[in-house]
Amino acid sequence: MNVFLAVLRKDLLIEWRSRDRVVAMLLFALLVVVVFQFALPGGVTPRTRENAPGLLWVAYVFASLFGLGRAFSLELENDALSGLALAPGDRGWVFLGKLVSTLVILALVQAVTAAAFAVVFELSLLPVAAPLAGVVLLGSLGLSGIGTLFSAVAVGTRFREVMLPLLLLPLLAPVLLGAVRATTALLSGDELPFGALQLLLVTDASYLIISFIAFDFVLDE
Amino acid sequence: MSGAAIAARGLEKRFGRAVALAGLDLDLPAGQGLAVLGPNGAGKTTLLRLVAGLARPSAGSLSIGEQRGHRREMRCLVGYVGHATLLYTALTARQNLVFAARLYGVADPGARADALLEEEGLTAVARRPVGGFSRGMAQRVAIARGLVHDPPVVLLDEPFTGLDRRAAGRLAARLIRLREAGRTLLLVTHDVSQAVPVCDEALVLARGRVAHRSQGPLEALSLERAYEAALETA
Amino acid sequence: MIRASGLVLGALAAFTAYLVAMAPVDSVQGVIQKILYVHVPAAFSAYAGFLTTGVCGALYLWKNDERYDRTAIAAAEVGVLFCTLNIISGPIWAKATWGHWWVWDPRLTVTLLLWFIYLAYLLLRSFTEGSERTARLAAVYGLLGVLAIPLNYFAIELFGGAAMHPDNLERDSLGAGMRAPFAFSVLTGLAAFWHLLMLRQDLEARRLTEALPEADWAAEAGS
Repeated sequence: MNVFLAVLRKDLLIEWRSRDRVVAMLLFALLVVVVFQFALPGGVTPRTRENAPGLLWVAYVFASLFGLGRAFSLELENDALSGLALAPGDRGWVFLGKLVSTLVILALVQAVTAAAFAVVFELSLLPVAAPLAGVVLLGSLGLSGIGTLFSAVAVGTRFREVMLPLLLLPLLAPVLLGAVRATTALLSGDELPFGALQLLLVTDASYLIISFIAFDFVLDE
Repeated sequence: MSGAAIAARGLEKRFGRAVALAGLDLDLPAGQGLAVLGPNGAGKTTLLRLVAGLARPSAGSLSIGEQRGHRREMRCLVGYVGHATLLYTALTARQNLVFAARLYGVADPGARADALLEEEGLTAVARRPVGGFSRGMAQRVAIARGLVHDPPVVLLDEPFTGLDRRAAGRLAARLIRLREAGRTLLLVTHDVSQAVPVCDEALVLARGRVAHRSQGPLEALSLERAYEAALETA
Repeated sequence: MIRASGLVLGALAAFTAYLVAMAPVDSVQGVIQKILYVHVPAAFSAYAGFLTTGVCGALYLWKNDERYDRTAIAAAEVGVLFCTLNIISGPIWAKATWGHWWVWDPRLTVTLLLWFIYLAYLLLRSFTEGSERTARLAAVYGLLGVLAIPLNYFAIELFGGAAMHPDNLERDSLGAGMRAPFAFSVLTGLAAFWHLLMLRQDLEARRLTEALPEADWAAEAGS
């Protein structure tokens, strides 16, 4: 538990100091929104509004990839990764610390992106803000859970930047399906579909548990 | 806290086909210092990192104090000072130490960090980012980091590299103080003269195997000769 | 072992080929239906491969025995081979019968995703340096890949498009006279999987041991 808090505080402290990850991710996410504007000419139609949840999650995936790719970049200098590997007890706590610090930064970026989407696609998000935040959190847990694990995996390979998306994307289907379905329901004013929530919870739990256990092996040399 | 004994039986580490360390036996009593010498690629760093719990042995057993083979618990007992400083350049010296203290569950991390910084004579630069430190200063912070949890075993990988004479003398005195405080030391070094005052035993490795073992008060000359012999076989 | 499995495979294949040739031609679909005698076994073998990779990866992490890793890589490669066969034979049949090359139905989508996952697995292996690290990282990824199988089925069952994929096997509605050829073709497929697995595993073992001659260690003085 100490380990978890130590890593979390350290990451947030460094991020607070330099703010480079947050700013880069924010810019990136907003650029994605702009690109969508160009990719979908013809303005806001009922059709594009229908697809908005899917596009929102595409933007989230891109932003996550960006952030996750840098999750361990701090640890690359001075062999600080070994510093983490030396942590006593279960190294899964290091994983959790990294995961939560990434989620915190991601949450900020996601909120701004959602706001941008609301403007561009003329959506009304405020009435469903709380459940939407919940759904986004569940989706992000799944995304960033294995994302953090794979970020550490990618650090040990050549072509780190290419490796992370290659490893991550094929495994995201259950997360995205559940998240997009739930988001769509929320934005249409329907109730949260139980199936989607169930899927997200099961996927998140499985992914997180395996990542927690497997992280120990990834930090070894 | 007094030292812990380090014992190994048939300790081996393979990286694919390459055997970095082959069947090593070791019995270092608590509170003793062991110098590990040898040419590059002999397996010294591998041995150190195995004892630190950074790598999983391919074969054989390792125990530290009462802990046998449970790397999670063994890591609590070990302080590691490697080739690299393990420090975050964006953080200050004090912040780095506080982080390490928290990592090891040290009570009152702030006070511990301050105490360590004072011991190393770094209080003046405590709140400056480590990125701007000289090699010698960064080294001192790295050593403080290794000692943050008051470990019974201290591992050092060529800590004298890149230090000027004054810094080296300081470090040697520090190590002797650690030994006198009863900690078990494992010192990897190229320099026999650094090893002799600090250590009670010595191991010369070559190509992953033990080429020479010395016990009792170390004698610089014979150790030098053994080291030379090992260099030739490399 | 390899020779034995090769012989068994040869015999099975020959017999199955005979059965398939003799099997009745589907009245509706025509001769093209016989491609299913390849498509279905390929699916079984692909899944067998992926399961093996995942399980052997877990065993490798647990036991730290590199033989498990050898089986894992062999199973992944053979699995991808059969999966590719499956993904190619499927659309050929689909175009002839349904008129579409591809449909986003559960089974197809999951199989496609698995194909991507295991290709990523192979890429991970080739981009990682150091065979011990490769084995470890690949094992972790392979584990998640196996986990993805039930998760994806669950996911896509919940939301998938129209389930167009025929499930004759489940509904036990195979045409008359097709049961034997199907059974044997699946058996042959699994035998082929086994044989190729053994071959590839053996290749891996030889690749690792015949590579560098063991360095001539200097005499160890005293111990």
